[in-house]
Amino acid sequence: MNIKHSFKIAYKALKVNKTRSFLTVLGVLIGVTAIMMMVALGSGAENLILDEISGFGGETIVVRPGKQPTGPTDIAGTLFNDSLTERDVELLRRKSNVPHAEKITPFVVVPGNVSYEGDTYTPFMLGGDVNFFVDFYDAPLLEGDTFTESDAKQLSKVAVIGDKVRQELFGESDALGKDIQIKDQKFRIIGVLAKRGQVAVFDIDNLVVIPHTTAQKYILGIDYFHEFIVMARDVDTVDRTIVDIEATLRGAHKIDDPEKDDFFVVSLSGAAEQIQTVIATLTAFLSSVVAIALVVGGVGVMNIMLVSVTERTREIGLRKAVGATEKEIMQQFLLEAILLTFIGGFVGIVLGGILSFLVALGLAQFVASNWSFSFPFSAIVLGMGVTTLVGVVFGLYPAKKAAERSPIDALRYE
Amino acid sequence: MADKLIEAKNLRKVYGEADARTVAIDDISLDIDKGDFVAIMGPSGSGKSTLLHILALLDKPTEGTYIFDGRSIDKYSEDELAKLRNEKAGFVFQAFNLLPRTTVLENVELPLLYSDIKESDWQERALKAIRIVNLEHRLKHESAQLSGGEKQRVAIARALVNDPEIIFADEPTGNLDTKAGKDLMEIVANLNKEGKTIILVTHEEEIAEYAKRIIRVRDGKLESDTKTK
Repeated sequence: MNIKHSFKIAYKALKVNKTRSFLTVLGVLIGVTAIMMMVALGSGAENLILDEISGFGGETIVVRPGKQPTGPTDIAGTLFNDSLTERDVELLRRKSNVPHAEKITPFVVVPGNVSYEGDTYTPFMLGGDVNFFVDFYDAPLLEGDTFTESDAKQLSKVAVIGDKVRQELFGESDALGKDIQIKDQKFRIIGVLAKRGQVAVFDIDNLVVIPHTTAQKYILGIDYFHEFIVMARDVDTVDRTIVDIEATLRGAHKIDDPEKDDFFVVSLSGAAEQIQTVIATLTAFLSSVVAIALVVGGVGVMNIMLVSVTERTREIGLRKAVGATEKEIMQQFLLEAILLTFIGGFVGIVLGGILSFLVALGLAQFVASNWSFSFPFSAIVLGMGVTTLVGVVFGLYPAKKAAERSPIDALRYE
Repeated sequence: MADKLIEAKNLRKVYGEADARTVAIDDISLDIDKGDFVAIMGPSGSGKSTLLHILALLDKPTEGTYIFDGRSIDKYSEDELAKLRNEKAGFVFQAFNLLPRTTVLENVELPLLYSDIKESDWQERALKAIRIVNLEHRLKHESAQLSGGEKQRVAIARALVNDPEIIFADEPTGNLDTKAGKDLMEIVANLNKEGKTIILVTHEEEIAEYAKRIIRVRDGKLESDTKTK
């Protein structure tokens, strides 16, 4: 008997017991839908994070003082660690020390708020070179200018602000040339950045950038830095550049044992790999939890197939009496089980796709504006493969039972 | 002398073990020639159905040798037996055993599904068989829409569709009224005239009268074996 006829018979058998078939399919369907959603959302989250990181540029290397943080207290520690100095910046900028570095920009983080004529706002405030954002983050100036090396040297009290800061403090009126107050110091706004939104870890619109020298001397009262951002020439030179930076800083800080480093270096491509691994592990874990639902669905299929085999004992007997071999009977019942799980798998994939699309829409609307719907083709293949496998595994025993019925026992059965 | 289609020697069939042991057939030997028309008779529980099932390759004897078409059934594999049932034998059951929610045509085509005959010839073969039992006007009817007599005629058409050597019938008229039973036996008798070997089990004398030879079974033993025509 060819597969076409087996398929016809299986289809007909399932159609006869519509409700029963539907409920059996439902068990598989729920499992597959859940798995599809897990995979789709996991992939969406991964894309989101990778997008942000690639927006940052894989060439980016960050140097921070202290030990690599493993908890919140360590992060606080980095803010008060004085190991990164102006001298370090000079050493790192020497081509002989770090040949593949394109640009090295030191930053300090300035806590607190800004105010203008009684309006107060808390932005993300940095002391550093605003050109860094313009050049590497694609954040062009809407109006005005950036500050220069001489502004840094002269400790000018100037600021460049992001679009949201402008809106909060000035509304529709002009911001350029106005004086804002930062910690009882007046700073003149010399530039406004165009609306850009979130790029990597920075919300450009929420930035206030002042020269690092001004921030260190007048506001923070420190002479060290919180962070160096180093741009390697390209992604391929990142690893070498990290080695060069570490060697240079160890030399400057007189450290022999890497265990005793008073700074740490992270590259974003390394961070991206870590995040990918975490998400993949999480997705796999959640999917395997949900896979239990599939096993339950499979047991449901087995149960219903056993009922079907018992109910159709006469039919099996008749088929054998007119010449069906054990293999042919087995094929027929196995196909019926696979058809059940396959339908469940197919509808589950479609439903999972639709639901995760809706969830993605919701997330994009309310949580992360740049969340995009992602439904990997590999998930579809996996979903179909797994459900077919469930059909085979849980259909095999009932099918074997059907095939082993003797034609005469089957015909006697009332 | 006619060719022997069936040679059975010292057939025994025992069900169960120890205390629950029942001997359904006890030392039965018989030969059946090609073209014969045999009625197996006996009261209920005599073992006549068991004997038919063994002869019809649906069941195997516990002891004894059974040679079908010149070869002992011990020598056939399960798949070869299936092929034999498909090609050489046709079956008619007391309870019709048609597939539910299936048309007359599809029911008759059923054995073809398991044969080597190519699909393009199926309908022609099925139609030929249906014509023999005079049911051309019922092709698209489902089994539930048929009368008992019509159902059994469909079963005969199904048994004929692979053009078998021999037809086995287990109380084919048992669920039919007298008129339908007689009509059915006319068809069966005609098939025999055209050369088909027929073996049927019945407990009705009027039905057995159509046969050329009557074998009587009692308590699993052969009681008598008489040629009537």
